[in-house]
Amino acid sequence: MEELILNIKSSIQLSAEAEEYLRTISKEKTVAKDSILIREGQSVNSIYFVKDGCLRSYCVDKKGKEHTLQFGIRNWWISDYIGIHNNEPAILTVECLKESKVIEFNAKKLNEIFEPFPEYEPFQRKLLERHVVSLHQRILNQLQLTASERYALFLEQYPDIEQYTHNYHIASYLGITQESLSRVRVEMAK
Amino acid sequence: MKALQLIKYGAIEDSLRINEVDKPSVKASDVLVEVKAAAINPIDKSIILGNLQGLLPIPIPSTSGYDVSGVVVEKGDEVSQLEVGDLVYARVPQDQMGTIAEFVAVDALAVSKKPGNISFEEAASIPLAGLTAKQSLDYVGLKENDKVLIHAGSGGVGSIAIQYAKAKGAFVYTTTSTTNVAWVKALGADRVIDYKTEDYKTIVHDADIVFDTLGKEYTMEAFSVVKSGGKVVSVVGPLDEDSAKAFGMAEYKLPEELSTVIKETGASYKFIFMHPNGSHLAEIKSLMEEEKIKPIIDKVYPFNESIEAFNHLASGRAKGKIIIKIN
Repeated sequence: MEELILNIKSSIQLSAEAEEYLRTISKEKTVAKDSILIREGQSVNSIYFVKDGCLRSYCVDKKGKEHTLQFGIRNWWISDYIGIHNNEPAILTVECLKESKVIEFNAKKLNEIFEPFPEYEPFQRKLLERHVVSLHQRILNQLQLTASERYALFLEQYPDIEQYTHNYHIASYLGITQESLSRVRVEMAK
Repeated sequence: MKALQLIKYGAIEDSLRINEVDKPSVKASDVLVEVKAAAINPIDKSIILGNLQGLLPIPIPSTSGYDVSGVVVEKGDEVSQLEVGDLVYARVPQDQMGTIAEFVAVDALAVSKKPGNISFEEAASIPLAGLTAKQSLDYVGLKENDKVLIHAGSGGVGSIAIQYAKAKGAFVYTTTSTTNVAWVKALGADRVIDYKTEDYKTIVHDADIVFDTLGKEYTMEAFSVVKSGGKVVSVVGPLDEDSAKAFGMAEYKLPEELSTVIKETGASYKFIFMHPNGSHLAEIKSLMEEEKIKPIIDKVYPFNESIEAFNHLASGRAKGKIIIKIN
């Protein structure tokens, strides 16, 4: 938690009371590989900050196949924001791909931080902007780049991730089949 | 709930009906699965025709089907390894037969989460055939560089056995007919033998393992191609004596002809009874997620066309599994 608090304080002035509030609405946890933190169909109560390790959010289509939305690695936040925003059951599942250290925040209370502690707002806004930039970039890459180019960028953004992911996790994240991913890898190896 | 039921033994059209029945009750060790898809297997057809009344006595009416993929919607108090919402697949135990229905209660130990990269329909195609292949080849200790002969490479069991054996690093001989040679080769088999134009007995020599899925003369012929000290494993041949005793047949003796050839070759013989096993399905799940085993589907039928699905199975023309989509 200390590292996160320091990170927050590098962006904004955080009062002792706000810091205490953040501590009371959060819990540090070590999560085992294959654990499910958020399950599709259940209420979304938490937002996770990843201190170390890797989480993955995915949806399941009508046919029963998984599609990766996001990998949550060190210093990233991950949850089902659609469920939180719409106050509806989760449409995503968040699972742990390797043993991870996370800070679990009560989603409702984190969203209520602004009234007592309006100074927190710029930090939250920057986080959201970072998230939007990442999503826009991903959409633009999907529209403009080849599978090989997208895979190369993916490896830059997520070094070592292939040690603890399945090929289909990555293939679905990139929007390609597993066969295409294999071909891309073969081409890159040449 | 709706369920496809065997209402009497006999021809498929006369023996199957979609009935309205009670949802199954869930024991403490069970999960209740909302069925998304069920696969049909040759054993289902044999049951309908009445060929297995002695071996597998079942009440009439009974819901048909052993293979399932779906969603856990309820779990018993003793179940800890699965949760409501898990996407799963299973080959259900005999006394819980009845997957061609909207819901099925299954002992949780027989259930595994399904591979995430395949659909419910594809997952349903795997359990019975996959467990048969894996349990047979694991029993005889199949390992890297072993030479293994797998008959009927285009069949449900054979096609998965080829892929499983290749995942283990074995050298795979298989037999199939001319029309299936290309796609069976694509499964990874090293030497595909077209039985219409080639005699496999002149091609396969000193195999470490023969996986017999054809029975009759093929069980005996296995001993002409297996090496001295090799292993023959069968799912259709005569019982071996240990398996028969485990089945309550204390006086059973191996047929003399088979007993003689076993002694002459120094090879071993084992009959495998496939059994439901969630842990084994979890191992298969890992291989499927790495695409070392891929499902092979012939056709998917809607629930209300179940009889057509069984007729298609009975035609013997299917290349791959026949699936019934339930929900």
